[in-house]
Amino acid sequence: MPECAPSLISVCGLSKTFGRRRVLEDIDFEVKKGEFLAIFGPNGAGKTTLIKILATLILSSSGTVCLDGIELKKDPLTARERIGLISHESLLYGDLTAHENLRFYGRMFGVSNLEERISHLLEKVELEHRKFDLVRTFSRGMQQRLSIARALLHEPSILLLDEPHSGLDPHATEILDGILEDLRKDDHTFIMATHNLEKGLNHATSVLILSQGRIVFGGRKDALDISDFRKTYDSYVGGHV
Amino acid sequence: MNYLRRILTIVGKDIAAEIRTKEMMNSMIVFVLLTLVIFNFAFGERLEGAAEASAGILWVAFLFAAVLGLNRVFVHEKDEGCLDGLMLCPVDRSVIYFGKALASLIFISVVELIALPIFAIFFIRTSFLVNLWLLILVLILSNVGIAAVGTLLSAISINTKARDLMLPILFFPVIVPILIAAVKSTGLIISSPSLPGDVFVWLRMLAIYDIIFMLVGFLTFEYVLEE
Repeated sequence: MPECAPSLISVCGLSKTFGRRRVLEDIDFEVKKGEFLAIFGPNGAGKTTLIKILATLILSSSGTVCLDGIELKKDPLTARERIGLISHESLLYGDLTAHENLRFYGRMFGVSNLEERISHLLEKVELEHRKFDLVRTFSRGMQQRLSIARALLHEPSILLLDEPHSGLDPHATEILDGILEDLRKDDHTFIMATHNLEKGLNHATSVLILSQGRIVFGGRKDALDISDFRKTYDSYVGGHV
Repeated sequence: MNYLRRILTIVGKDIAAEIRTKEMMNSMIVFVLLTLVIFNFAFGERLEGAAEASAGILWVAFLFAAVLGLNRVFVHEKDEGCLDGLMLCPVDRSVIYFGKALASLIFISVVELIALPIFAIFFIRTSFLVNLWLLILVLILSNVGIAAVGTLLSAISINTKARDLMLPILFFPVIVPILIAAVKSTGLIISSPSLPGDVFVWLRMLAIYDIIFMLVGFLTFEYVLEE
């Protein structure tokens, strides 16, 4: 088997242990360019750990992860240029303005035409009028929208989403979903970890169910019987949907 | 060049945030000034001619103030997962280490420059202005070591439950060589109107210590952040 499979994202034999606790065990999956993989599972299933490994924030204990032909452990810096992470935390500095936050991250990523890119993204997330306001004065929904701008600043081809709808009101959720749909048209590839079945199925082209660190179900959404899938999900998570 | 530019980007971000909040600098300045005033009341005239004791007071005040600041180095990075945001950037982890250490060095140095004249008024009776450059060199070398060690240990302690307590427990034993060299060299400088030759032994020790701990930080920071 080649080190990196031809898919945009390939995960092979991935395991992670913290001390004696095994959080992920023998995870295998592939995601092709333009696909949207939704990873479902209850709290503690290992979803966030998996997203953090894919984002190069933590190292796996064993197994390989390849993003666009780059093996994460061998060349994490190049991989990071292709990854955007939107999590339930904004990753933004409350004591800096929206513009200062984006400028900071833009410089760290070495983004060219930074000011243009910032203006474009602030317009896209409808925060142009608040660009000189401190982020700590923003509502949760506004922070999440700015977080999307931050994640897209360096034009990543892969977007990792970790419970992105967490804590959002319906209006902010609607805006986030609209932006995600727009990005899908631009051929971005997504992996979203969520325990929100409705949201995940709404966007997904493929699904996985993670339970106690193992993949217990996986498949393409168009081949799924949704009601059967719900039952399967309920059986693994005890109906906590 | 990109490496240095990104270090300076982190420094600029930290300075901008500090200018806005002033929470780190204010607490450090108030603490160091209060400590000097209290020591002045406690010892007063009895410290005349005891340059090394005066230098000890100065460095105890500086070190405790530095710990106050170093405890806050990664606090803002933990808020809203900003440390993850930094770690997502396509830069070597050592860029984060040197950026945070350089920002800490600047904050500590500013506090010391404010406190130094107060210390001179309270505790120094001889003219040390001829050796002021030497004193500034001691401050710089000591602060580099304090920032290098403090930033590394602050990153370790930030993920512990009792992080406010953890940093001093880890920091003070490691920083003892700097404290000794700083006190000895400062004592020699403020007690002698001429150039004290012995001071260069202590300066060399400070420089070696700085290099060792910057190397340790450079080599280990990746593991500190990821585990």
